[in-house]
Amino acid sequence: MIVANVHKFKVFLIECLHKGIMLILVFVIASVVIFTAVNLIPGDPVSLRLKNPDPTRVAAIRTELGLNKPLPHQYFYYVISFVQGNWGKSLITGQKVREEISTYFPATIELALIALFLGVILGLGVTLSTQCFKSTLWRNTAFSLGALGLTVPIFWLGFMFIVIGSLWLGWFPSGGRFDFTLPVPQGSGFLIFDSLAAGRLDLLCVTYQYLALPVFCLSLYPAALVCNVLKTRFADPRLDTLIRALRAKGLSESRIWLIHILRLLSAPVITVIGTNFGTLLCGAVLTESVFSWPGMGRYLIEAVLNRDLFVIENGLLLIIILAFLIISTADLLAFRLNPTMKSLSD
Amino acid sequence: MSRLTTIFEYASWGALCLSLTGLLYTPYNPMEQDFRSLAFSSASSAHWFGIDGLGRDFGSRLWRGSGNTIAMALMALSLNFIIGLVLLSIEQRGPRVLQRIILLGIGVWVAVPVLLIGLVIMVFLKPSVVTLIIAVSLGNVPLVFRQLRILWIEQRNALYVLATETLGAGRRHLLLYTLWPNLRPDLMGLAKLILAISILELSGLAFLGLIGDPDFPELGAILKQNQSYLFRNPMLVAWPGLILSTLLFLVHLSKSRSY
Repeated sequence: MIVANVHKFKVFLIECLHKGIMLILVFVIASVVIFTAVNLIPGDPVSLRLKNPDPTRVAAIRTELGLNKPLPHQYFYYVISFVQGNWGKSLITGQKVREEISTYFPATIELALIALFLGVILGLGVTLSTQCFKSTLWRNTAFSLGALGLTVPIFWLGFMFIVIGSLWLGWFPSGGRFDFTLPVPQGSGFLIFDSLAAGRLDLLCVTYQYLALPVFCLSLYPAALVCNVLKTRFADPRLDTLIRALRAKGLSESRIWLIHILRLLSAPVITVIGTNFGTLLCGAVLTESVFSWPGMGRYLIEAVLNRDLFVIENGLLLIIILAFLIISTADLLAFRLNPTMKSLSD
Repeated sequence: MSRLTTIFEYASWGALCLSLTGLLYTPYNPMEQDFRSLAFSSASSAHWFGIDGLGRDFGSRLWRGSGNTIAMALMALSLNFIIGLVLLSIEQRGPRVLQRIILLGIGVWVAVPVLLIGLVIMVFLKPSVVTLIIAVSLGNVPLVFRQLRILWIEQRNALYVLATETLGAGRRHLLLYTLWPNLRPDLMGLAKLILAISILELSGLAFLGLIGDPDFPELGAILKQNQSYLFRNPMLVAWPGLILSTLLFLVHLSKSRSY
């Protein structure tokens, strides 16, 4: 038993090491590509910033930003600055990139995490209910919802939610993150947490009201993913045998489903959510655009369209690294929960 | 294969062909603002989908838009398969170092979402239709490469292929008459999946404004353009999404059909 556990731990460590090397590779490749891309931008970004570019002023700003030094020097300076968190100033707003990211980043994370949580609960609930109610009609309806979640474009769904929830029913606001006529809770940038920390339940309600439509819209994709992956698992006849064996052992239904079966199903759910995190991120960006949500997606797109040098260099690299980290963590979690499965990178 | 899947199969081909005819013919010019006085008017016998906010026949814009979306997705799909096949050939036949580099590169590539790849490409190139096609095709390369690799290794090492090879079949015969008939159904299934993903990603990126010209008739771009009219005329936003969803739904439902 101990030998087997040591072996499992060794395999897990090797997998962690592999992911660590991949992370370094992702960082090097992404930073080189982004740096090259930024240096190949047609037109001088500094001149683009100034309405009437005076050559002396342009030269002064280029010197200030270190843009007149050799490219290898600029690259190393870029990597070191990124690691140190010294991300320069936006060429468009003149604000520090780090401060701007610390404003937009919590908005995206708050939206994505709540949507992910709701999506997994929704997917699990729908699929488990098909097992409880053995009605074919309910089962087909539930799994059709799963198919719809993967085929209906999220940005269009967002508009339909606005039409129904905001225009027809008038229950929810059509866009934005908070009612700015009210005092915005200050602190971490996560409005739910900040409202709770300030003890303002009225502000918490407002936060939820603004979150409701975008979260529900974004949650349908993970819900559909969970539905589809669990549908395949439930079709496996070995699961029925396991449930019968656990019942024969005298375990209660809640113990069977909430402890044994849920643990068994968590590995594929974590894997599918982790490997599809990229699509979820794209969904978050689209949702931000539909609901005028002040998040990282809109910020980065505007930076790319406006050729905002330092925002592109640092914001894009940060998001790529984070996306890779989340996918790898999900992969490792699934690996830990079920060590017999092969790593996705194999 | 079930009868229903066959029906969806024909329906999806019909919908794709009908969309593509929009590139050759539309009842009215989808770019010209010929009906400014009728802006926002609802459906009529002359204009089945009404008139948009800039006085253009909305049906013609939708038809051309769906044609453009499908054509762009097909181009992205072709580019995607070409890159995937080239990488697979190098990985299978090339030196061991290259094999390692490609596999490692794909491992890194797969972790970067399409949107971010698109944004990085947008830094190199100006937002345009071509840029969008390149972004979508490059974004899906890891998925195609991995699936092609699995299919190829599985079929290449199958006993019937080894038996045919032992009987003296040449490379050309082996590829065309032994491997291809067995690879074709899976390749078609993969192509349909990638087509559906490409349609969704292309319209998503176009919706974000990365297509460059906001007036270009593409379903995502049409949706974006009509976003400001959502409260005035919701159907201008509802139709592009409905058409997009129908196309995607049909492609998804038909992809399990074997050839």
